[in-house]
Amino acid sequence: MNGAQWLVQALVAEGVDTLFGYPGGAIMPFYDALYGASLRHILVRHEQGAAFAANGYARASGRVGVCVATSGPGATNLLTGIADAMLDSVPMVVITGQVPTPLMGTDAFQEVDVFGMSLPVVKHSFLVREVEALPEAVRDAFRLARSGRPGPVLIDLPKDVQTADASHLPPHAPAPADALPAPLHGPLDDALALIEGAQRPLVYGGGGIALGDTVGVFRAFVEATRLPTVLTLRGLGALPASHPLNLGMLGMHGTREANLAVQEADLLVVVGARFDDRATGKLDQFAPRARVVHLDGDAAEVNKLRHAEVAVLGDLCLALRRLTRAQPDCDDWRAQCLSRKTEYAARYDAPGPSVYAPQLLARLSALAPEAVVTCDVGQHQMWVAQHWRHTHPRRHLTSGALGAMGFGLPAAIGAQLQDPASQVICVSGDGSFLMNVQELATLGRYRLPVKIVLLDNQRLGLVRQWQQLFFDGRYSETDLSDNPDFGALAHAFGIAAFRLERADGVEHALHCLLACEGPALLHVCIDADANVWPLVPPNRNNAQMLFNPEDADAPLPA
Amino acid sequence: MHRFQLDLTLRRAEGALVRVLGTVERRGFRPLGVEGETRVDGDRWHLRLAVEGERAPGTLTAQLAKLHDCLAVEATPCR
Repeated sequence: MNGAQWLVQALVAEGVDTLFGYPGGAIMPFYDALYGASLRHILVRHEQGAAFAANGYARASGRVGVCVATSGPGATNLLTGIADAMLDSVPMVVITGQVPTPLMGTDAFQEVDVFGMSLPVVKHSFLVREVEALPEAVRDAFRLARSGRPGPVLIDLPKDVQTADASHLPPHAPAPADALPAPLHGPLDDALALIEGAQRPLVYGGGGIALGDTVGVFRAFVEATRLPTVLTLRGLGALPASHPLNLGMLGMHGTREANLAVQEADLLVVVGARFDDRATGKLDQFAPRARVVHLDGDAAEVNKLRHAEVAVLGDLCLALRRLTRAQPDCDDWRAQCLSRKTEYAARYDAPGPSVYAPQLLARLSALAPEAVVTCDVGQHQMWVAQHWRHTHPRRHLTSGALGAMGFGLPAAIGAQLQDPASQVICVSGDGSFLMNVQELATLGRYRLPVKIVLLDNQRLGLVRQWQQLFFDGRYSETDLSDNPDFGALAHAFGIAAFRLERADGVEHALHCLLACEGPALLHVCIDADANVWPLVPPNRNNAQMLFNPEDADAPLPA
Repeated sequence: MHRFQLDLTLRRAEGALVRVLGTVERRGFRPLGVEGETRVDGDRWHLRLAVEGERAPGTLTAQLAKLHDCLAVEATPCR
């Protein structure tokens, strides 16, 4: 047995069932060891696709996603997907081939220092210079990836280590994830007192809720305390969109009722969120009247951007169970928040014959309520956040912190493979889609029944919107009106495609799309000038939202 | 401006020093001086790092404490 064969056996012992990758020179011994093995390898068509697919697999399942590439360009192509996993706390193990150890440091063919290049974007990494170090590296890589705040771990594996005799190595023994500590009683008591003493308390929930498998406990906490709740982009679904206490997303493209509630609250109960700038707007004017109770598994997030009067560190489940006994007296406040929710509810009765993307997305999510939706980055991503009826954070896969265009399609592939019976829908834009369009080949090769909804405004829409609003209409390099024929492109990969141009065809088109047995693409032509509303302009606070000027009911700018 | 000394105990692992220095700079602090030695048991580095920055020292020590190779970190104000 050589090192590569040992590693394949270790992956099987670790419970890995699927890995995403692309072979090349320095990783050939590993691919040789894969030949005939029980592991399912998904051949992508670009290494970035492998990283995003493993990322999507991990986000949807909660298990560690694994991807593989060769040295040099194979490894560098993984970096965006690794960074995305780091910023959104996604558990991944990334295996890269490396040139043989005697050649390292000699500028050998396809040699790059991926260990060094990836340092800022990994939770940890190992450069395995001798085969004897392999068992500890693999064990720690999986343990670290899923422990505490999850993240990506890189294993860089020189070719001669892969081919070295490993018959003397012990079999791989998986290590359990490190448990988060139980929160201290003192801060929990302080938090209880603050919640019960507040007049306008508000829950601000983030991506940490799903990371800690805390969704059920979080819902029980909100329902027991009846606290109005706002969610971050990555927290969407922690409370169902239909839940009466859910005021929706806060921040730059948040709902009016969520942002106003934050600005008026006298207490924020922050659960697994980190005061990200897209959520807070101008930080020193964010929630100006609120004290903060911050619950988080990562101590580094507390007091990083906003002082917390009470910090509850450790296991979120344990903390929320304890706080569920709180009995705040805030009926008037709750009634005010909920009445705004009714008053400011989104409208889908856009005039004219063009397809109104928010209406289409709301309708699609009603037709496919259990679907996993992945998206790319831009206007369509915000419309999905605003108008999809989110039911669980693991069913909404979005590149939140990194904002990586090209994420959606490969993430959908990963999500589909982690549960072949699930319904997976990728919502993309014409800019983002072409960034990893080669993965249509992967979709076709494995006949994965992913449904793609491509919202095509022939623009880099969100950048164009900012150019319109904040750069005097100087539309620099955002015109994509020379897009290819997306239907023909899909057909070239053996994928069914439909085209939708008019609002009165939405219902039929969505039914046709969902009725397809295999992969399919719906090419939706939308208005090039459509914008995402509301919007908090740069360097403004969240109460200073801009609204659609064509909406007669829109308030004037604050 | 905060000036303080970090006393770090690190695993003597490949990349440990670069991770610490990179974290210091990426998190908005400037290294002013570095001293270090290997301890007698041979598998630990003890590193003393003087740094300055506008942000609170705790924001940096909390990030350093998360590094797998960082076994201990303590900050004391520089005189």
